[in-house]
Amino acid sequence: MNRRTWFETVAAIAGVLHFGRVRAWAQTASFPLGQTVPLRAIGEAVLPESLGEEGRARVVTDFTVWLRDWKEGVDRDHGYGFTRIVRTDSSPAGHYVAQIEALDALAMTRGGSFAKATIADRRAILNEVISNAKIEALPGRPNGGHIATDLMSFFFESSEANDLCYRAAIGKDTCRGLPGSDERPEALSSETFR
Amino acid sequence: MKKHECDVLLIGGGITAAQMASRLVQKKPGLRVTIVEAGRRFFNFDERAARRERWLAYGENPWSHDFIEDQSAEGIISRSMAVGGSAMHWGGVTNRFSEEDTRLHSRFGLATDWPIEWAELERYYCDAERQLGVSGEPSPIAEEKRSAPYPMPPMLLSHNLKVLKAWADKSGLPFGSTPQAKNTREYDGRGVCKRCNTCEICPTGARYSPDFTFERLLEAKKIELHDETQIRKLVMHDTKDHIIRAEAVNRKTDEPITYEAGTFIVTSGYAWSSHLLLLSANTRFPDGLANGSGLVGRYMTGHSFSSAFIELDASLFPGMNEQHSLISRQFFRAPAGKPYVRHDLRVWESAYSKGPRLKNDAGEVLFGDAVMNDWRGRTKRSVARVRAYYDVHPDRDSRLTLDPAKKNRFGDPLPKIEHRLDAATVARRGSTLTHIHGVFETLARADNGKILSSSESNYLDHPGGGCRMGTDPKVSVVDSYGLTHDHPNLWVVGSPTLPTGGCTNGTLTFVALTLRSAERLAAKL
Repeated sequence: MNRRTWFETVAAIAGVLHFGRVRAWAQTASFPLGQTVPLRAIGEAVLPESLGEEGRARVVTDFTVWLRDWKEGVDRDHGYGFTRIVRTDSSPAGHYVAQIEALDALAMTRGGSFAKATIADRRAILNEVISNAKIEALPGRPNGGHIATDLMSFFFESSEANDLCYRAAIGKDTCRGLPGSDERPEALSSETFR
Repeated sequence: MKKHECDVLLIGGGITAAQMASRLVQKKPGLRVTIVEAGRRFFNFDERAARRERWLAYGENPWSHDFIEDQSAEGIISRSMAVGGSAMHWGGVTNRFSEEDTRLHSRFGLATDWPIEWAELERYYCDAERQLGVSGEPSPIAEEKRSAPYPMPPMLLSHNLKVLKAWADKSGLPFGSTPQAKNTREYDGRGVCKRCNTCEICPTGARYSPDFTFERLLEAKKIELHDETQIRKLVMHDTKDHIIRAEAVNRKTDEPITYEAGTFIVTSGYAWSSHLLLLSANTRFPDGLANGSGLVGRYMTGHSFSSAFIELDASLFPGMNEQHSLISRQFFRAPAGKPYVRHDLRVWESAYSKGPRLKNDAGEVLFGDAVMNDWRGRTKRSVARVRAYYDVHPDRDSRLTLDPAKKNRFGDPLPKIEHRLDAATVARRGSTLTHIHGVFETLARADNGKILSSSESNYLDHPGGGCRMGTDPKVSVVDSYGLTHDHPNLWVVGSPTLPTGGCTNGTLTFVALTLRSAERLAAKL
């Protein structure tokens, strides 16, 4: 049995037996196995159309890599005078399978799976779910609040999104050197966004 | 019991210890200098780029395990308990205080004077700037003369800061590039700033941190560094006032260690220096070592601050160099005949209120390009962050005490710090804030600006004090060099010795005073 199959099997058995913690762990470790299609469908609905199909797919892939590399229980950044240690939680991915299932369930009441719904219908579903979850703002980082807003946060808080917003090669998270920094950043080419 | 002997024992391994050790072994070759630090060492320069990535991506502490959990105490206490201390993750800002800081009582009838002449301190500022590698430009203010140029030219003003300078200059206040311990050219074996925007963990080594000094000294076998070793108590001679040993414990093995030295220097920062002296009470000094004045742990100081975000008609590109700022030192002097107020004034680029958002003003959830369009639409105007550190003075009861309710794993009571401002500071708070808010308003008006929000500090930044320096042993703990009045071989150096906390970042001042102390001690040894 290879790693992928093993995770799928554990997740499936845990799901059937309702072993909550085991299931969450297995889903976290295996995500997005079995969820690639709905995850991409969410990406198509929440990420900028101007990224193009490939661009949105790339962001979704980057998001799954980010989730894969999450470490639980690591001490977090702190400031002066802040002596209480705060550690990273369990991966947000532990919440996602149930959230995707809920999206699908809601979509089914409207005639089909979430992934097969039109972009407009997916957004209507997400709008309802986000409102019901009382999510008012994008989190600074994905936090498990909802997979859709987490994916949005992952992209819109990025250096790439900042560049796209300002249509300029700012590169805020990159080591860029000092020369030229006194000049207005170079404009992005029109092909970069539509 | 394990015993270690040396000529000079430095207790605490932060920036003060690094600079003290460096200068001592330079002046006195062959001097046996040992540094003891309770926290661990981070000599992991090769890992910094990767740690920076994790910090950006996940918010993980780039200095993981820089904290000793059973040393968590009450009050503003630095989380960085490691070799290098807070200067491992500082922003590198190296502003000087001004002459007024040293003459508060004689000029304004406030607080106390420092027992040091400005001209002498200024020379050590230049020395400290060379040691740390500071890039800066001369102040446009006539009173701020320098006896030597900055070692490096100033950090290039980013496009954003150039725009902000043009705006701020309209207010009539003189602004310039904030001096920083960041390389604008190769310096002292370290490379040039790459504008990574993450000075908290500098992946290139362009921003000074004490590990560079320690590593160099260790490589040359000029010092010994015992990390994860905690000094618990200093012990006096039975009949004389000399300190004869320090009792310590290895935190990894719990093995006790005794350190014997000719000279003991407490370089433990503002919290742990007073704490150790209080912990070391004995029958002849029942209130703590060096505490004949009763002032160890008193006059804990720092500065308050006021901040605002100002929206203005300007085209900025947030993220170009958020770590760099403009500074005006216009208000370091307090004119006669007006309510006393002194403060610095800093200006940064900001993306405050200009970030992406989930819902628009109508409360509608946005998706896809609608998020981007909403975001872009709100960036027609830009935002500057402004902040003033302002001068406040500590009350005698601004204190560090031993907290009987909290002990570390060795059973030693932990410090409890409660800042309290003196009556004059409290009385003028209203006029101080009125003045500062007026300055913010003046800046805003300079370019059709609007103050979006403002806030006041609820703690003292860049804290110091607790072992204040002075000439009179009745009202001070150490002399101007840090030598305690009560013990001929016990010194306290750096931030704890400050009588008052100034109105700008303190690190350069801590280092300047340390270098001055090192010269004095080296001459005596």
